[in-house]
Amino acid sequence: MTSREKILAAVRANQPYETPLPDVPDFGGDSSLDRFTAVLQGIGGQVVEVADAARLDEVVRHLYPTARTVAAEVISATVAVTPETPIETLAAVDLAVLRGEFGVAENGAVWLPGANMLHRALPVVSQHLALVLRRADIVATMHQAYARLGSVDSYGIFLAGPSKTADIEQSLVIGAHGARSLTVFLV
Amino acid sequence: MSHSQKSDLFLLDQERTTWHDETLWFVRQKRDKAVYAVPEFQELRQLASDIKDHTLSRLHFYLQQFEENARRNGVHVHWAADADEHNRIVLDIIRSQGATRVVKSKSMLTEECHLNPHLIQHGVEVIDTDLGERIIQLRDEAPSHVVLPAIHLKKEDVGETFWQHLGTEKGLTDPQQLTEAARQHLREKFLAGEVAISGVNFAVAETGSVVVCTNEGNADLGVNLARVHIACMGMEKLIPRLSDLGVFTRLLTRSATGQPVTTYTSHFTRPAEGKEMHVVIVDNGRTKQLGRPDFRASLKCIRCGACMNTCPVYRRSGGHSYDFTIPGPIGAILSPNIDMKRHASLPFASTLCGSCTDVCPVKIDIHTQLYKWRQVLGQAGELPASKKWSMKLLSRVLARPGIFGAGGKMARHGLRFLPHGLTHAPGYNPWAIARELPAPPKQSFREWHAQTVK
Amino acid sequence: MKVALFLPCYIDQFYPQVGIATLQLLAKLGVRADFPQQQTCCGQPMANSGCETDAIPVYRHFVDTFRDYDYVVAPAGSCVYHVRKHFDIIEQTPQVQHVRTSTRELFDFIINVLGVTEIPGSFPHKVGLHLSCHGQRGLHQANESEMTPVRDGQLRRLLSSVQGLELTELDRNDECCGFGGTFCVSEAGISARMGQDRVQDHVRNGTRVLTGGDMSCLMHLEGIVRRQQLPVKVLHAVEILNGAVV
Repeated sequence: MTSREKILAAVRANQPYETPLPDVPDFGGDSSLDRFTAVLQGIGGQVVEVADAARLDEVVRHLYPTARTVAAEVISATVAVTPETPIETLAAVDLAVLRGEFGVAENGAVWLPGANMLHRALPVVSQHLALVLRRADIVATMHQAYARLGSVDSYGIFLAGPSKTADIEQSLVIGAHGARSLTVFLV
Repeated sequence: MSHSQKSDLFLLDQERTTWHDETLWFVRQKRDKAVYAVPEFQELRQLASDIKDHTLSRLHFYLQQFEENARRNGVHVHWAADADEHNRIVLDIIRSQGATRVVKSKSMLTEECHLNPHLIQHGVEVIDTDLGERIIQLRDEAPSHVVLPAIHLKKEDVGETFWQHLGTEKGLTDPQQLTEAARQHLREKFLAGEVAISGVNFAVAETGSVVVCTNEGNADLGVNLARVHIACMGMEKLIPRLSDLGVFTRLLTRSATGQPVTTYTSHFTRPAEGKEMHVVIVDNGRTKQLGRPDFRASLKCIRCGACMNTCPVYRRSGGHSYDFTIPGPIGAILSPNIDMKRHASLPFASTLCGSCTDVCPVKIDIHTQLYKWRQVLGQAGELPASKKWSMKLLSRVLARPGIFGAGGKMARHGLRFLPHGLTHAPGYNPWAIARELPAPPKQSFREWHAQTVK
Repeated sequence: MKVALFLPCYIDQFYPQVGIATLQLLAKLGVRADFPQQQTCCGQPMANSGCETDAIPVYRHFVDTFRDYDYVVAPAGSCVYHVRKHFDIIEQTPQVQHVRTSTRELFDFIINVLGVTEIPGSFPHKVGLHLSCHGQRGLHQANESEMTPVRDGQLRRLLSSVQGLELTELDRNDECCGFGGTFCVSEAGISARMGQDRVQDHVRNGTRVLTGGDMSCLMHLEGIVRRQQLPVKVLHAVEILNGAVV
């Protein structure tokens, strides 16, 4: 008998009588931009309102004056990134500007699907990360977030704020391994 | 050594004990704040509990559904009956790639299986990339907490370790600078990593996805730079539906650290073009626990660590006092399933105060299971002989009111007339090491009552 | 209404004044309680030590002693919790079921059976309330900080109704004191440390009289207070309430 068969047989023998799977209600909640903004700022993210979407490029450059290597889908890039881009090139990226699908007000997370990442490692390997989000695309809670997703495709992240750690004496440090900062540009 | 013996060592450093207690209590307070802010939190706990109960009751179905969907997604699925088989499978995958450099994000399962020593012994460099895990890996220690693996260390300890291993300046204690040093050091490892190993927080049966939650982003960085991803999961990580993640992601981090969600909640469903993804499903005693009706609910655990943060014993004894991969109250109900003799003292390392049960996001009746493990240990003859015989004697006395009255009187008079030095001798009376015995009155209540009340 | 008083062994032997105050307070509230002399113990010490089966004769003796009463009242939440929760391993005869449901913690009995929510009287002191875990989390006699920030409960209400009595606000409202039955000797180091931390919270916040509904916690805390010679008096809440009523 293979381990698979052995394990499944033991599970079948030992599992209890079937109990019902509950339906999960929606619970409603606050899906306002204010709430999303306040929560994201509370976890170390930055939110920038872009009044004129045509000037996004300019606003981003203004905020990251020292970013030399910029990988981007939504603004003009200085380096082209594709799934085939070599690691050394990825490692040199200062700023990645990517399109977020929607935000979650209760926790400041933004859904970033693999398809929007240029390269799957880009959002974490880049020193800084900016996500562009339409201000209408906010849901209240994770229940609504998963309902909106329907399927998760190949790879995707709910990304809430910059990379952080508190592993040394519970002192919060921003910029562990992933992006040192996260800015959400609302258009 | 028993839990109490290890605790006594921890307690020797009073200041450090205070610090450890206060640091974890602070985490518990952050958890409270986050929990109070969600009006439906108690409903979510019930839902999570019900979803997990249901999943365990149809586990054979969900395991196969997950496997089928994962395979359809191009993911290789492996089954491991125990730790050895798990380690063998992982090593085989690494070897089949001709790889020697492995980066690993946090996984309590691989700790449980002692994967690192196995890989290192076979010539594979394995680097833990979670900051806390890397710190303890450099120190050759075990994690002392499931979410905060290096919580037993102070920044001075970390500074010393980094000075020795990473060449940082001696005496560096600033967490910001220490973290930056680790970032630089680990970035090299990430960029060079050939195989990435991750744990699994949730495995979604209906999509075949695995979900990994981190704050540092180390799982995503490791996996997406390496050629091969190996996700190692205990079989109890399954949940039926994608929508169930709504419940669990809302509970997990609020319970663990008081954050509204982890920074990265990453969903791995299909490998990137030209890359490989493997999932190893591990039993290692879990089917046995599933067959213990009183204890199977322990398999609902989502490893948030809330029971550790709230446990007044854990906070004052440290994670290493449990001498088991998963410490604290949940560890004390998981460990006897693995080795009853070795972990016999753990179910007794609790006052049964019940706080663990009340913070548990999936409503595991932890303190009731501690009580029940005590009975199992008692039946199996795993109690210290002195305890066993004194309890038998006590039972005889307490079932016989006559002897009971006389015995109580003897104890009380003994206390009244024997010298303090004798009744409070620490060698004979552990009570008296830090406490006075009650001042014995002349008359017991029953004597008073017989005399006064008609 | 036929009411029996159950006193755990350590109250009987070491704190007779608690039993006396219980009888007197009940009398003031119009209840005359019997004290069946053949009573012994609820069996918790054995059961918590993993020797539940050894406790079975003790459970039976408890049921035999109290089966003919409408209520069994005890100034000890922990024992009550044990009877109600853990007497499930003996055959559930009607007598056993009756004794399990009719065994009530004293303040629960006063509030929910007698319907008394205020104690007329005065006790002008700064009082620190220690919540017993079995009373609070086990019998749900007080709100739990794990669930809500609102600090409320049966004993808190009764004490607040006494004139001049000022309740201390603790840093940790419901942390366990570390007594834990045989835990206090099998894990003596941790037990003592927990007790010391508990006492310090009271001292830091101005408690002069430390009280609670469970004498076992209080015996442990009193042991620490006396060893450290702290200016804190330890009283069971029934002593305060009984003494307050004129």
